[in-house]
Amino acid sequence: MTSSTKTLYKSYIIEEYHPTQEPFYLPVGDEIELFEAAYGQRIPVLFKGPTGCGKTRFVEYMSWRLGKPLTKVKPKKGKSDDGDGSQNGRELPLVTIACHEDLTASDLVGRYLLEGDSTVWIDGPLTRAVKAGGICYLDEIVEARKDTTVLIHPLTDHRRLLPVEKRGELIEAADGFLLVLSYNPGYQSALKDLKHSTRQRFVAIEFNPPPRDIEAKIVEHESGVDAPMALQLAKLGEKVRNLREHGLGEGASTRLLIYAGKMIQAGIKPRRACQVAVNWAVTDDASVQRSIEEVINSIFE
Amino acid sequence: MTGTFARVKGELEEWPEAATQEFEKAWQAMSVRLDEEQMARWADTGVVIARQTAHSWEAAALFYKVSPLVAETMPFNYFMKWAECGSGLGGESPALAVAYFGASPGAMGKLRSRHIEAWANLGRSLYKGTWKSSTLSSKFFESTPELLESLTFPELERFAAFLDLLSHHSYDLSAECLVLGQRLFPLVGQDKEAFLSLSITMVDSGWRQVKTFFEASHKALPRIEESQRMRFLKLSERLLSSGVVNIPNTMLEMSQALSEVEPGNHDRLLGIAAELLEASPVAVPELIKCGPDILNRISLTQMEQWCQEGMRILKQNKDGGLAYFKLESAYAEEVLESLSSGVEFARIKDVIEMYCRALAGSSVKLAVTSELVEKNIGWVSTEVASTEGSSVYLPPVVDRYRTKDENFQWFKVVSTHQVGHIEFGSFRFEFEAPPGLFKDLRHRLEELRTAEIEKARAASGGEEAAVSSAWVTDMQRFFNLFSDRKLALDVFTVIEDGRLDAQVRAEYLGIKTPYKRVQSDALESRPDVRTLPAREAMIELLVRLSLQQFKTVLVPAEHADKARKIARIARRVFAYGAEVEDTAEAVLRIYAIISPIANEEVPPEDWEEMEMDSEGNQGYADPEEMEELLQQVAEGEDMASRPEGEEEYESSEDVDYRGDFKPELAQLLEMLRRQSQEGQEQGAEEQITQEMVQEMLQQSAEVDMSEGQGEAQKIAGQVAMNMLKEAGIKEPQSPEHGQGPFVHVDEAGGPLDPSEPQTFVYDEWDFRADDYKPRWCIVRQKTMAEGDPAYYGATLHHYGPLVMQIRRQFEMMIPEMFRKVMRLQDGEDIDIDEVIEAFVDIRTGASPSEKLYWRRNKVQRDVSVVFLLDTSASTAEAIDETRRAADDWDAPDDPVEYMLWLRARRGEGTRRSYKRIIDLEKEALVLLINALEAIGDVYGIYGFSGYGRENVEFYTIKDIAERFSDRVKNRIDRISPLHATRMGPAIRHATTKLEAQDARTKLLFLISDGRPQDRGYSREGVEKEYAVHDTRMALEEAKRKEINAFCLTVDKNGHDYLKTMCQDMSYEVLDDIYTLPQRLLYLYKKLTM
Repeated sequence: MTSSTKTLYKSYIIEEYHPTQEPFYLPVGDEIELFEAAYGQRIPVLFKGPTGCGKTRFVEYMSWRLGKPLTKVKPKKGKSDDGDGSQNGRELPLVTIACHEDLTASDLVGRYLLEGDSTVWIDGPLTRAVKAGGICYLDEIVEARKDTTVLIHPLTDHRRLLPVEKRGELIEAADGFLLVLSYNPGYQSALKDLKHSTRQRFVAIEFNPPPRDIEAKIVEHESGVDAPMALQLAKLGEKVRNLREHGLGEGASTRLLIYAGKMIQAGIKPRRACQVAVNWAVTDDASVQRSIEEVINSIFE
Repeated sequence: MTGTFARVKGELEEWPEAATQEFEKAWQAMSVRLDEEQMARWADTGVVIARQTAHSWEAAALFYKVSPLVAETMPFNYFMKWAECGSGLGGESPALAVAYFGASPGAMGKLRSRHIEAWANLGRSLYKGTWKSSTLSSKFFESTPELLESLTFPELERFAAFLDLLSHHSYDLSAECLVLGQRLFPLVGQDKEAFLSLSITMVDSGWRQVKTFFEASHKALPRIEESQRMRFLKLSERLLSSGVVNIPNTMLEMSQALSEVEPGNHDRLLGIAAELLEASPVAVPELIKCGPDILNRISLTQMEQWCQEGMRILKQNKDGGLAYFKLESAYAEEVLESLSSGVEFARIKDVIEMYCRALAGSSVKLAVTSELVEKNIGWVSTEVASTEGSSVYLPPVVDRYRTKDENFQWFKVVSTHQVGHIEFGSFRFEFEAPPGLFKDLRHRLEELRTAEIEKARAASGGEEAAVSSAWVTDMQRFFNLFSDRKLALDVFTVIEDGRLDAQVRAEYLGIKTPYKRVQSDALESRPDVRTLPAREAMIELLVRLSLQQFKTVLVPAEHADKARKIARIARRVFAYGAEVEDTAEAVLRIYAIISPIANEEVPPEDWEEMEMDSEGNQGYADPEEMEELLQQVAEGEDMASRPEGEEEYESSEDVDYRGDFKPELAQLLEMLRRQSQEGQEQGAEEQITQEMVQEMLQQSAEVDMSEGQGEAQKIAGQVAMNMLKEAGIKEPQSPEHGQGPFVHVDEAGGPLDPSEPQTFVYDEWDFRADDYKPRWCIVRQKTMAEGDPAYYGATLHHYGPLVMQIRRQFEMMIPEMFRKVMRLQDGEDIDIDEVIEAFVDIRTGASPSEKLYWRRNKVQRDVSVVFLLDTSASTAEAIDETRRAADDWDAPDDPVEYMLWLRARRGEGTRRSYKRIIDLEKEALVLLINALEAIGDVYGIYGFSGYGRENVEFYTIKDIAERFSDRVKNRIDRISPLHATRMGPAIRHATTKLEAQDARTKLLFLISDGRPQDRGYSREGVEKEYAVHDTRMALEEAKRKEINAFCLTVDKNGHDYLKTMCQDMSYEVLDDIYTLPQRLLYLYKKLTM
């Protein structure tokens, strides 16, 4: 519409967003095959695992991978060019919804908005994903209200329907649609557990912090530090994770290690970088901080 | 002259012959010395004495007898004075005269002639005409010679005055002090005056203590540095005069403390004490008593600083100062800590423990070395760090460097090394696992050795050899390969420790600097190699290599070649990535090489300096003679080739930071632990028995069995049993269950340490000192025993309709969680009413409201609550039934309340049986649990009671993390009145439990029947307040941790102390005990909404 003004930012329509470049993902186990199989059968997937261990990155990667033409669906045919690809396999949209405790059903499905004299219906992200046939990724699902979890039930069994009560509609999910949830069993209190009727609609893939050498590679790639430093960081991650259940609710995530690496890359001394990016980030408890401080001092010069 | 002789002789004849004989003997001796007239005067004096009373002739005889001796020492005029004094005494009592004369020869040597008369008078002054006084007086004369050894005459006079004074109270006591004095004065040192005046003051202030004082001094003084004794006594005197009671005991305690301090420091310590004396005499003994403790941690100069601080406190607050000097205040500890450069284990335990856990990746525990030794499972040194596979043991305090930081770093290095055993798998040794760096020779050696044993057995035809090939652990199997186990163990220890150091260095770059420092310190303290015999020198070489000394290492020139070989092997293992199996392979090779070396002294010129820099860099291949060497080892030829009469081999000195490493024991213990965990399910498959353990211990070189054969067996048996116990096999009865008998421990004393499982230590608030008493109370957590399962149901049944009511009420609380908020600019959905109104507004031309949305505000119920039930003895009181008059006619408005009220009123008629407060508490609990289960709040129920500060009992009825079950029901039945009410620690423990909960609302509900009280919880004078203030503080702490506390009491006098205790917190005093169950629930609802 407006041709003269330069767009200063990139914006996407929700259901049109999809990763265009290959996200960096280093598989730890067979999670890629598992996800591909589940997607092939359109079985909803539940990611379990602590924060920052790559759940979101994985779903981005899978969205890219599955949307990439002819990789898995017809592996034999080899690569065809992009123009061709849009015919066979189209890009797989990825709709990510971060759940929070005030997230309601209408936030997902859609609502009427006032516009002038009348009301206009606006589809919620879930509805858009259902219509567009993409992956809908509900991050930290247990944070959302209970009524939202019930909403996804008909979407996750053989019906694949999304009821939109306010409009009196039932929307049938487009073929590519898949619901993916993530959930962190670690820190929720008993009150915030996933109901069994919900859990049992998913296959679960567990995510754990990657082993030291893989994590080191990830840190190296993401933060740009050299390999020995990345290994040190991974070592630190491993050691701090050992403290789970001993005063730490959750160990240092790979994400934090990457941050630490980036800080180092930006010229901060390793000890200090780890202090701010790892130690202070994982705990407020002074005595635990002190212990981690010692671990950091032992590992880094 | 002879005339005089004959005359006197004649006169003496009326008494027994002895008198005449003495006279005759003395006459000869005296006649040499005296002229005729003098002789006459002398001889006549004797007669005068003899005439005095019927028995006086004895005195006279003695007079003649000692005269020659006395006369020698003085001129005649003094001599006659002496005689006259004696005569005078004889006039008083012949016994006195006898004693006087008897003591004279001894005394005269030390007594100035001019003092003779004074001396005699001293004795006379003690004589009061009674028999007892004459005994005392005589004793005084008799002891004079000895007393004069250490006393001057004026002091003797003072002493006599003291005796006289004391004799007014008791002659016996006086006599006893006289005797004690003889032994005591030599110890007193320079200034007897101080001692004597102290004694005299003592008579005035409490004569009964005098003897104990003498005895105490007698014991106390030798412990004090000689020049300081006087000072000590003066100090004691000052203490006494300023009103300190029980001086003798205080002196003993002080001297005991001083004896633990270096004598050279007595001077300054007493100086500090004297300074303190001005400010507070009572604090002085306390200061001296904790002197040794303090000086263990800080220097004297620092101690002066510490005292200054204490005196400052004293000025502000006497009690606070006193607690400070008793080391019973947290502040005192704090100041001490900030002054000392040493690092105490207790201070760093938490940090290091977590550090170790992070490194090891398992729940490593940290403890003081003494704990390991106490277990008596083979470890004996309390000085050095160690690990037994699951815990790391560290020395209690480190003070080897000047700064705190350096000392802390030492701790860190030591624990990193110890954890290394766990992290890098020292105890995970598997005989079968393949080594990575060497060829596997273990199996080869075992083969050879078995063949050898077979051969030997065939030769002797016996069966005894078969036993030694049995093994329990892989480590044992490995060590079985060697005839000289001790040597093998030593090599293993060094190589494995070196391997760990290499791993640590590579893995933890950051710790390199302190690690290097500790290593080089260790290197410096190594013994001179040249003093060692050859075989030991080879081990020493390995130690040095492991400590990174590669240059200029001294080795016996004769064995230079072997040294290079073993260095090559060892250095291969001292590299990143080596495994414990590699260590084993290296040990095997090194053993084979050095075992045959004769352990003989090496002449000073036969040492060679070697550079080992390059060894171990190249690849390694076993030399050809290795097979031969193995054969030797297997056949035991290495042992045989050692010469007769070589020096006995001694293990090399420990490298202190590496501590005590016992691979065999640790692996055994680990196996036992595993067995005790698995064994319970799997049954008796391959059980390790005590006999097996014992046998293994006897074989092992790790346990010192140097006593005789029988003794060794006994020790091994004991250790084996302890090991099994440690591993949890044959565990004695669990102490957690039931309301077991309590142990009485005395109140006095300092901080406590919770040594048993399930015990927790807490500080206590001393409001007078305005400070915490550190580590003052021990809370013992126990699970309540289970009782009659029917009780719970019966109670519910009893309260039937009420239960339903309550449950409904509580369930109704749930929907209250969502509240709709209207008129919002943004929200979940549009509010249709508002929208219509807006449209109307638009149509009518008014400006419409923009607030057209509504939203549900979630009020999440996220409650954790702990109920603390007072189960003190007072809850056994029967409830006073007569008080229940019908004065509550005004029925409550609230329907629920009304039902409760009605129910209670109806119940009145039927419930007439005997009921105690605790019964109602229990019933209230049953109703409560029922209600809480309906709303799903997280809750814990605990009872508390106790006896004394080291026995605060904390009974779990339902743990906060526990799910409600039949067991909980059963436990309620067993709640019964116990001992006292020490609320503070119980509240603190409950607070700790709540703190661990992750809930938005945390509530601590205290249900009690009266004021807090316990032995030692109410100090003299301030009785109630101490307990009340501590409780108040405990509640305050809870509040600071965002825990709401609420006190509910049934004590009618509760208002008075609850006001202090709860201050701005809420509390309620129940007028009517019967309303407890209802009220409790009502309050709970109110509080958590």
